[in-house]
Amino acid sequence: MHRSLHLSHPPEQGHPSDVLPLIEDMLNEMAEAESWPVTLTMRANLILEELVLNTLTHGDTSGLTEIDLELESENHALTIRLADDGSPFNPLTDAPEPDVNLPLAERPIGGLGVYLVKTMGEELEYRREDGRNLLKLVVHPES
Amino acid sequence: MEFSHDRSGDTLVVNASGRVDGSNASDFLESLQGLFDPGDQQIILDLGGLEYISSAGLRVLLMAAQNLDKQNKSFSICSLTESVGDVFRISGFDQIISVFPSVEAAKQG
Repeated sequence: MHRSLHLSHPPEQGHPSDVLPLIEDMLNEMAEAESWPVTLTMRANLILEELVLNTLTHGDTSGLTEIDLELESENHALTIRLADDGSPFNPLTDAPEPDVNLPLAERPIGGLGVYLVKTMGEELEYRREDGRNLLKLVVHPES
Repeated sequence: MEFSHDRSGDTLVVNASGRVDGSNASDFLESLQGLFDPGDQQIILDLGGLEYISSAGLRVLLMAAQNLDKQNKSFSICSLTESVGDVFRISGFDQIISVFPSVEAAKQG
């Protein structure tokens, strides 16, 4: 099953998080049609939220005009492709790695989003091509 | 997301259900903090009705846990759904916040 979503920036109106219901609806439709395990829907939603909100709200967003999402699912494996024309950002190397083994009092607030993407996503590939960030990853219901 | 709470003695049980994401995480924090009373010694967050949590929601839980820990109060989470439990495990949150299968188990610590 294949689905795609095109987001333009800046959004015509509203807040960056207004894109979240669009992502949720698209995933719920795929999940229902293909009886996805709940953990696949959850992981896919979390990964897309982190990556899209990261692109829309972090760093220099002045050159960003669009984000394209392509989703391809087969046998409960979901391949996600994201493309955006914002400033170069490689989530695999450009985000600090949080130490998830720290005790409660020392755990820093934040820094978890990209970590969760890298942990829940597999076969991650990033490249910068023709002024666009291209990210591909595969999500499974279990790791 | 929706909240309800139940206080008996110095134990506060908060039920949070629905979805917590980048659009409502700050409301989640505000609602949660608004429910805490200085007399509460044991706070249990029942997430049995929580369908979705992203890192924005995890940040709120971490802030609440750290604040309550500093005040030497007991904070635990219970009744995680399968999908939220998966996120807890991967993020290591199940190692830093006490997680119980039910409200009753959380009350007994």
